[in-house]
Amino acid sequence: MTTPGEEAPVTSDFVRSYVITGGRDLPSSEELALHTLVTLAPGRTLPLGAGPEVKAIWELCAGGYLSVAEVAGHLGLPVGVARLLLTDLSEQGHLLRRAEPPRAQNVDRATLEKVLNGLQSLIG
Amino acid sequence: MTSLIEDPLLWILLVVLVAAVFAVQRARRTNLALRRTKNDLETNLGHAHGRIDQLQGHISALGDQHRGDLANVRADAESSTKAVLKSAMGTLQSLSEEQQLLLDGLLKKYGNDTEVLADLMAVDHTGSQFGRRAKGISVLCGGWLGRREGVATVYDVARSAQGRIKDFNRVSIHAQVSVAVSSKAVEPVAVVLAELLDNATTYSAPGTPVEVNIQAVPTGVCFIVDDAGLGMDQETKDRAAALLSADGPVDITGLGDPPRFGFAVCGMLAARYGFAVSVGSVSPYGGVRAVIRVPESLLAAEVVAPAEPAEPAAESQESAPQRLAPVPVGPSHVVGTTSGGLPKRRRRQGPISVVPAFEPAIDEQASESAGEVTASRLGAFARGTHLGRTTNTTEGPDHQ
Repeated sequence: MTTPGEEAPVTSDFVRSYVITGGRDLPSSEELALHTLVTLAPGRTLPLGAGPEVKAIWELCAGGYLSVAEVAGHLGLPVGVARLLLTDLSEQGHLLRRAEPPRAQNVDRATLEKVLNGLQSLIG
Repeated sequence: MTSLIEDPLLWILLVVLVAAVFAVQRARRTNLALRRTKNDLETNLGHAHGRIDQLQGHISALGDQHRGDLANVRADAESSTKAVLKSAMGTLQSLSEEQQLLLDGLLKKYGNDTEVLADLMAVDHTGSQFGRRAKGISVLCGGWLGRREGVATVYDVARSAQGRIKDFNRVSIHAQVSVAVSSKAVEPVAVVLAELLDNATTYSAPGTPVEVNIQAVPTGVCFIVDDAGLGMDQETKDRAAALLSADGPVDITGLGDPPRFGFAVCGMLAARYGFAVSVGSVSPYGGVRAVIRVPESLLAAEVVAPAEPAEPAAESQESAPQRLAPVPVGPSHVVGTTSGGLPKRRRRQGPISVVPAFEPAIDEQASESAGEVTASRLGAFARGTHLGRTTNTTEGPDHQ
């Protein structure tokens, strides 16, 4: 059923997403943006009665920082659903989150020209 | 002597004697005639009785024939009604499956938009309830349920059933076991459990909990549904028991108006797939306890741990050489060990720090052409979205 390079889904496809959220209101996308990075806080133990999705998040996030979008992708769940589960874990203090690193700044033209010149002198 | 002849007394005596002889003879004739008449009448009576018996036999034969014809006509009407309903419901069933597939795609596509996602979930919820009804009627009419492609854990089967009823958020599921149900039994068990959950939530006060406990028993696995309602009266219990143990086709016109399909669907599926359903006992909360016992033969051979996403073999082989390389700086890729004792690794190569602006509709070709994104970031992102796009295509055909 699973072709190589593709992970088996955590949730059977016939479990509807509103069951996973338990019909609760979804957190807004501002709370945990797509590119927010999350990882497991050190020294935490899996809460009792965690569902398969939470366990899968636990495993995924144990390996280091992962973005919210990636977590949703790995779980095969809509981002909003993954976000709710991540928010729960975060509120219980199990997750650390980090905002996206700042984008690279535009470098001024003079620097770029210097680099270009340097490269040309190296190659040419 | 003459005196004797002339004696009037003698003549009188003679006349009386003659008269007496005539009278006796006449009486004898009358008697004989009466006897004959009586015999005739008795014979006639016998004939009449025979005729009556014959007619009664005829009447009962006609009655039987009438009843037989009526039953035939009814059976014909029932079977043609069922045939029509079955094909109509088959169409609805496949439309509902199609809608679910479509919604799966939409849920992922608009996953980041909280409001759209919530609305889509509401649509999905009503669609699932509608699909359950269509499936139930189809089953009663002799239709088949779709066979799932893969096995599913008992927890997922229960959650799937939970999603098919109106008050799904009153249901809590406690799975003490993590066995999987074989692919052919996944859908029937989910349909039956959904019917039992629907009964449990409908016939108990709003806001009271309904619990599903899944426990292993020596002969298989039990799904135990407990509600906190008022329980069932004896008549309902008898009706339920009759419907649950019915092994023949169910008369759909006899299910009342509005029809109560639930128990009939349960009985039908239980008999067809070989599991047992009972609703006779009392729950710890005073309501009804309904139990589905799924025998070992309908459970998947291998035990699937629900929490662990199974890593395909190719993946671990691919990442195996990494063990010889020095431990990379930063987050470790080893996230556990497989059942065979090998370290389990994620396929992430290199740090994943930035995910490009999320565009759900982006495909692999498009992302490959974006040259400014580094290959590692792109790979991680593509894998994530690829998984998201492909996992919704494994639904089987709705009926065979």
